[in-house]
Amino acid sequence: MRTRALPTLRAVALGYAPRVLQARGWVLCALAVLPVVLSGLGQVFARQVEGFDSRVALQVFHGVLVSLILPIMALIAAPGGIREDLEQRTLPLILVRPVPVWILPVAKGLVWYVWGALWLAVSGLGLILLGAAPGTAAFQALALVLAFWAELAFMSLLVLVFSRGVLWGALVLFGWENLLRVLPATLQRFTFLHHIESISGTRGGDVASWDILAQQQISSPVFVSVAVLLLFGALCWALCGWKLQVTPVGLAGREAEGN
Amino acid sequence: MISLQRASLRYGDILGLSPTSFELEDGGGITGLLGPNGAGKSSLIQLLSGLLPPSGGEVRVFGAAPHRNAEVLARIGLVPEGDRFPGGFRGDRWLRMMGRLSGLEGGALDAAVSRGLALTGMDTRGHLPFTAMSKGMRQRIRLAQALLHEPELLILDEPFNGLDPEARLGLMDLLRALAAGGTRIIVSSHILSEVAQLTERILLLFRGRLLAEGSVPEIRELLDRHPVELRITAHSAQALARWAVEQGELVALRLEEGSAVLAVRNPRSFLPRLQEAVVAGRLPLQTLDPIDLNLDAVFQFLTKDNT
Repeated sequence: MRTRALPTLRAVALGYAPRVLQARGWVLCALAVLPVVLSGLGQVFARQVEGFDSRVALQVFHGVLVSLILPIMALIAAPGGIREDLEQRTLPLILVRPVPVWILPVAKGLVWYVWGALWLAVSGLGLILLGAAPGTAAFQALALVLAFWAELAFMSLLVLVFSRGVLWGALVLFGWENLLRVLPATLQRFTFLHHIESISGTRGGDVASWDILAQQQISSPVFVSVAVLLLFGALCWALCGWKLQVTPVGLAGREAEGN
Repeated sequence: MISLQRASLRYGDILGLSPTSFELEDGGGITGLLGPNGAGKSSLIQLLSGLLPPSGGEVRVFGAAPHRNAEVLARIGLVPEGDRFPGGFRGDRWLRMMGRLSGLEGGALDAAVSRGLALTGMDTRGHLPFTAMSKGMRQRIRLAQALLHEPELLILDEPFNGLDPEARLGLMDLLRALAAGGTRIIVSSHILSEVAQLTERILLLFRGRLLAEGSVPEIRELLDRHPVELRITAHSAQALARWAVEQGELVALRLEEGSAVLAVRNPRSFLPRLQEAVVAGRLPLQTLDPIDLNLDAVFQFLTKDNT
């Protein structure tokens, strides 16, 4: 009676699904939705005072959702995946089952991904209420959902490999990513931000001629950026699976594991 | 069924289990793993259940290495020590997930969960979240998850810890019934009397070494060779000491103020004679205080005896 990959994924995802209704899940929900809700309320007030400002949607998308909320959500959600079971020493209860071990990280991460992506999609589409064109908002929502897939997988890999994975992840998501506008064209492709902007068809900022170190911004075709984010996420999940597969996980603490 | 050939387990620089060899034949029955804390019981269990690969040697369960081997793991049930559960789960929902991970679906899954809860006496309380369960209830759920897929080999690490006497007896009955039904059971404990109630076959571990392997009477005989220290207070400690020397069982004798400390080689034969003498009025004994009857002292004696 051997359980194969897909039934394992389904079993773990179904089993852990109710966990999203705990504190971590509601924090993710609030992070995704509150910026749009609060900006919407601000818009209602601003419209009465100064009239409609269509740039707010763009500012909320790039200035808040993409550069702040998305990384924070990945940083919060990733430790709730397989890392949590490693730390709480509950993973052995699953590892003694006849399951393919490599599927476990993505199976647990999927729960958090679906939950976070759901609220990011709501938030992205909610930008319409802030003045975004429906077509633009749809692509912005798509960019958020795909970027969350890639960033969550990347963070899950970091927290699985490094004990201070959250710190390294924060450095990448808040340090490296913000270098986008001073990176040469080739390196721009190695940022999440580049692909988010390529998919959404909007930019978070323009490069002015007087900006020292600023580089010419490039764009990738939408389908290329979609593929890059999907494949990068899949690669990170695969590496998580490989890492767990080759790591002996015993009943005691990390210091008491074999070999 | 189980074969270890010089299998060892290292935790970094620490040796959890020295090269150990033994075999357990096919078929049902209960084998006790006996040893004090830190003896290597959990290390051995982790090797047998496939959680960790051996650092050296070979472990074979059902003819194959168990580590990350789904074919073998499908036939093993493990009840680990400790009170760790993922947060935010209800007992029955967690069992359903565990059942699915063992390949159970639909009606078979429902039946397995119901049977597991009923066998462990949790059928009316399985719906509770782990946080609302007592330690004993969580222990039962841990046992239920190991029984879901009806394993041929059931491994339990200190299963009686945290159980009240009634639950302890219930678990013993359940294990005996499973063993009679053909399940091979391995139970670890640091209490000989617990294991002795369950099985006649014992593996004795101490400081990562397999010290002895045999029946309960054989192990008891080994344990009886450990001199036990008794502090006896009597009206006349000298008279008591003289009587004790005459019995020929003494390894050492120390007189203290108003009492004598006797190191007795075989307390199981010495104590009835002492009782007889007291009842007959030959020894006006006031108190009897066993000083080092703990298992750890016995194991230390055996280690010295075996090296």
